[in-house]
Amino acid sequence: MQNLNVEVLAISTDSHFTHKAWQEQELSQMIEGGAPYPLLSDPDGSIGKAYNVYDDNLKVNLRGKFLIDPQGVLQAMEILNEPVGRNMDELVRQVEAFQYISENEEEAAPAGWEKGKQTLKPAPGLVGKVHESWSKGELE
Amino acid sequence: MIKVGEKAPNFTTKAFHQGDFKEVSLSDYQGQWAVLFFYPGDFTFV
Repeated sequence: MQNLNVEVLAISTDSHFTHKAWQEQELSQMIEGGAPYPLLSDPDGSIGKAYNVYDDNLKVNLRGKFLIDPQGVLQAMEILNEPVGRNMDELVRQVEAFQYISENEEEAAPAGWEKGKQTLKPAPGLVGKVHESWSKGELE
Repeated sequence: MIKVGEKAPNFTTKAFHQGDFKEVSLSDYQGQWAVLFFYPGDFTFV
């Protein structure tokens, strides 16, 4: 994420004191120097509630990912129920696509788009012609 | 309810970063791309 100039903020209902202990006791054993991003505390779940990830029964924030652009506008979000983790590759793909489009506003990144692949320029002439710039097997 | 294409809700809270406690607001990151990662808790198996 640092290579993409994206600031990462990790948030849980743990206190900042617990974050310190976790960083020093466990994360620093897993990653040299510990996690490089700030660990934010949300003790009453109010931030989680604002982002609709707070679980009232478990009293924790579920796994949620929110991509926010330089203007503070939410561009992508994903919330996963308890037992499944996230996919960093998909996040990188989305960041690259949104960053590309923000610099090339007339274009759109179609399904499965990855950096370096062709984008589409939505225009009346493109209607019914998407298949021409579509590589076969893309949806298989 | 939050929606894509609309302003992300701002917040200010305490954080631990680079050995220090500090106050962090989402608005501190205006002008940059940012990703918020919510997770259930420290010392769990993320």
